[in-house]
Parts: sequence; structure tokens; C-alpha cells
Amino acid sequence: MKGYLGVDVGSVTTKLALLDEHEQLIASIYLRTRGNPVDMVKQGLREIQKQISPEVEVSGVATTGSGRYLAGVLVGADLVKNEITTHAVAATQHIPDVRTIFEIGGQDSKIIIIHDGIVVDFGMNSVCAAGTGSFLEHQAERLNVKIEDFGGHALRSENPARIAGRCTVFAESDMIHKQQLGYPLDDIIYGLCQSLIRNYLNNVALGKEIQPRLVFQGGVAFNKGIIRAFNEVFDSEVYVPPHNELMGAIGAAILVHEEMEIKQNHHKSKFKGFGVSDIEFKTSSFICKACPNLCEVSQIAADGKVLARWGGRCDMWERVPES
Amino acid sequence: MVTVGIPRALLYYQYYPMWKVFLEKLGAEVVVSLPTNKSILNSGVTRGVQDTCLPVKVFFGHVVSLADKCDFMFVPAVTSLGKKSYNCSKLIGLPNMARALIPECPPILDPEINYEKGRYNLYRNIYEVGRHFTCNPFKLKKAVEEAWASNLDYRNKMSDEGITHFQAIDCKPPPDVKSSSLTIAVIGHPYIIYDEYVSHRLISWLQKMEVKVVTPEMVSQEELDAATRRLVGVPHWSFEPEIIGAGEYYLETGVDGIIIVAAFGCGPDSMMLGMVQHRAKEFEIPLLPLSLDEHSSEGGLLTRLEAFLDMVRRRKRVCV
Repeated sequence: MKGYLGVDVGSVTTKLALLDEHEQLIASIYLRTRGNPVDMVKQGLREIQKQISPEVEVSGVATTGSGRYLAGVLVGADLVKNEITTHAVAATQHIPDVRTIFEIGGQDSKIIIIHDGIVVDFGMNSVCAAGTGSFLEHQAERLNVKIEDFGGHALRSENPARIAGRCTVFAESDMIHKQQLGYPLDDIIYGLCQSLIRNYLNNVALGKEIQPRLVFQGGVAFNKGIIRAFNEVFDSEVYVPPHNELMGAIGAAILVHEEMEIKQNHHKSKFKGFGVSDIEFKTSSFICKACPNLCEVSQIAADGKVLARWGGRCDMWERVPES
Repeated sequence: MVTVGIPRALLYYQYYPMWKVFLEKLGAEVVVSLPTNKSILNSGVTRGVQDTCLPVKVFFGHVVSLADKCDFMFVPAVTSLGKKSYNCSKLIGLPNMARALIPECPPILDPEINYEKGRYNLYRNIYEVGRHFTCNPFKLKKAVEEAWASNLDYRNKMSDEGITHFQAIDCKPPPDVKSSSLTIAVIGHPYIIYDEYVSHRLISWLQKMEVKVVTPEMVSQEELDAATRRLVGVPHWSFEPEIIGAGEYYLETGVDGIIIVAAFGCGPDSMMLGMVQHRAKEFEIPLLPLSLDEHSSEGGLLTRLEAFLDMVRRRKRVCV
């Protein structure tokens, strides 16, 4: 049996999804990146291998997410794709009548507008992370609430506190102020959810044509409070697909399946096999002093051999001798 | 020989050939700062005023890097270039800010270019600069005429041959882009899109992704002005033709997509680019807005570019 693997290395979590030839999900894993994408990809591969029968042959692998280039080198990717395209592909495959995708991840949030199954417009948050999962997680920590319990608290709120959402720094001082005034925890938590949605709609989704069906995916879609806040803004229900957290990885797997089908017999997958999880990879970085630009170049090596380098402003370091 | 420093930033891109001819004909030697690099950026950001945009901060970095290499610094105050139209206040006050922020800077030559104050004022301002080099008014007049001619040449060369500022200044041939099926217009001030440190090599990335890039200076000034008039009448900002005019021109002539690039916090751009965005929606041409500042990372830029091109390619395939 053939399988197609999608690896989504985000800033906060790492997701792997394995699809069969009929694009059905046969194995998946969701891990926290914890600032260590290399180990998480290795661990992810180990877990996937445990979940599947030995007959499954990985015939294509694609990487996505902000760590896609690094992950691509690690696993030997046939395709490296940005996360906007992969999220859109997965959503249109699973929910054919989707028109708007809200995707809120750890460090960035996106909106994707779809017309007849094609992306026609998208938006991404600019420099600030105010409308993302990191913001909620940080506040949960400050309130001493587990992020998993966040949704439950939010649903119980009856009179949400109004918290400024323009900037995390202001939101935080505003939240502390409300705490000092004695607002109940539930109301503060739901107030945070509302402020995140306000910021998202005023920043990322500004000027976009939001039409139903609305689909909400990404890790933050687990949060019932955010879903409640979304539903209060829109007339139509926001739909959260099953495997919302895996959509990027699923989209990558679908794309690599298509790609390998087209190429058929001409190309064998570059997948390095599950054995990758036993290889010791070493990442390092240095400052190139060849010109006044002083680029920070990072590299990944295995067994003393450099596999890839990036980060330079010219291609001086990008050419790695082929083995 | 007297040396005059020209910072490689802001209006350098539009007017360098003219300034160079003018100063050289007067007998000065011209030195230009290096292309923006990390130390130029860092000194500009630490010395610059917090509220200014990144290109202005970069400009101060260039002034610092030239301070000990020349006898004069050439920083014209370009106030107005047409009736009832004005430049951004940061460009108008550039020489004064440079004087205040960079005390070690050699004397600044700062002719005010202000259309609204009339011809006589312009002549007098240029004469003031020329006096540092020559007492002969005929020599000065000749230098001005030759400089103006070279400015027209430069402008025409770019629009006739469809080349960029760089290629026109350095006489370099345009890069070989593999036969590409996509044409994308990149709209923004030249000091943003051609400063590789500010734009994170946006144009070379696009060319690597097999895209034919067209930019505002590849359109003749007459056509830019005409397109601006059609859309907004008399422009309010001096550089409206290169943004609104170019956007309108490319929307009307048809491109596969438009990328608009602005410096974070730029007031005029927020309005001008908003206008282009609005028009792109009416023409149903995909548009990607990019806002750049010193914190923007190349990774985020690439993700947006890749997704945008995926989208444009997909759309094109379906529409055909």
C-alpha cells in the first residue's frame, strides 16, 4: 500500500499526517515543537512508524509551515510548500463548499478567501502576534489556567470584560487592571477571546470578503471560547473540521500525492525513510564575513557532512557539494 | 579637489545621474555610499528619529557612513515638484534632520526644490549651491543644463528599454529570466524596492521564481501622469504618479498580479496604496500588500510571495 506523508513544522507545534492512495488519513501525530524542530520531526516519524503496518510504503513526502525548509532537508521532501496553499488545499478537499478559511496558529494567523475551489485572496498578520495562539497561551499562564481549560471558562462567561486587543502589551495591562477590579475569571477569559477576534478581524481580515461557509482551522480552533466569539460576530455558524490541527499537514500530503501521480514512474520519492529518526543531526550558525552584509548563515549537518545551508543574502553558502 | 558625498538612499535612485553630472561639471568629485549593509542599517536605526520610517533611518545610516569621506554632503530638500503637490514632510526636512542628528556630518548642500515658489527661487537655490564651486555663472548654467538633459535621458532610457534604476545607472543588462508565463507589477518607491536590505531582495526572489517583474520606472513619465490624472486629477503627493499612476497603468494594460510594497508607518503610502488596492479589486486582479520595517523577516516575506504566486498561477490556469 502506498502512503503520502505531510509534515507541518510550525513555530509552536509539529504535525505529521500520513494519507493512503485514496487520501484517507491513516496515521497522524501532533507534537509541541518546543523550539526544537529537528527532534520533533524525528520523534514524529517514530510515532507515525509505530501507528502503521509495515506494508505501507511512503511514496511521497511534503513539508510545510515556517520550518518547512529545515524539515524538507531532514526527511528528504519531494515538495516544500507554503502553509497558505496547503491549508487551502486541505479545506477545499474536505469541505468543497468552503468560501472563507480562518486559520489561527501559534505565531501567525491567516484568512483565505476561496471562490469555486480556488484561492482568490488571502491575508496574514503583519509583524505583531496579538491575534494568535501564543497570545492566549501567554495570558493563560498569567491567569494560572491550563490552555486546555480556557474554552470551558469562556463558555461559562455571562458578562465578558472588554479588553483592548490592539496590542498584546496593552491587552495584558488592560487584563491586569480588570483583575484588580475583581472581574471573575470566566469573564476575563472570554473577554480575551473576544479581543483576539476583534484584532483578527480588524487586522488580518480587514477588507476581505467574508462569505459562508466559514471554516476555522489550526490549533486555536480547539478553543471553544474563540469559536463562541466568532459565532457572535457572524450570522452563519463557523465550522471546525475534524483534524483541524492537522489541515496543513494533510494539505501537504494531498499536494505531494498529486505531484507524484503526475510524475509517476519517472521519479522515486526522495524520502529518506523512517531511519532518519536515528540519525544525529547537528544545526549550527555562523556569521559570514565575506562582505559588509555580515549574514547569519545557519546549517544542518549529519555525520560531519553539511546537508544544507541558508540565511545568506547571496548564494555563496547555499551551494552544498553533492554527495 | 572638493569631494561631495551622495547617500545611496531615498531620492538617490531617481536623481543620481542628474546630481552627479551637475556636481562633476562644477568640478567636484562625487562619492556615493556603499549599498545598504548591516552596519549602515544599525547606525541609521540608532541615530534616526524613532517615528520616521525605515528608509529615512537607512538614509541617516548612509550619511553617517559618508561623514568622514567628503567635504560636503549633498541633501536637497525636495519640497514640491508640481502645482499644489507636495512631498512627504520627512523628505522636506531631510537636510535639517541630518544636521541635527549627525553633528559630525560635513557642511550640507541643501538646495530647496520647490515648484510652488516659482522659477526664480529655484534658480537662486541652485546658484547658492554652485557658488561653493565656481564664481562663473556661465559654467553653472551649463552644468545645470547638462544635468537636466542627463535626467531626461535617464528617465527615457528606463521607460524605453524597460529597465530598472540599477541597470540604467550601472549600464548593466537586465537579468536573464527564464521564459516566464507570469508578469507581476511591483509597485513602490524605488528607495524601498531597490534597496535590497529594506526589501529583502524581493525582486530577485520573484525572478528566481520565474516571474517577469515590471516596475513603475518602466512606464514613461507622460503615461504615469496621464494615468494619475484619469484617476485622481491633480495629485496631492509628489510621488503619486509612480504609485497611483503606475498601479492604474498596469491594471489597465493587464498584468497577472500586483505586489504593493510600503514602508511601515508611511502616511502618504497608506493612502496611495489603498487607492491601488481599491482599483485592483474593481479590475479583479490579485494584489498582495507588503509592509516592510526593520523587524520584517525574509521567511515571512517568502511565505507570502510563494502563496501569492501559487494563487495567481492557479487562477490563471482556471481562467484560461
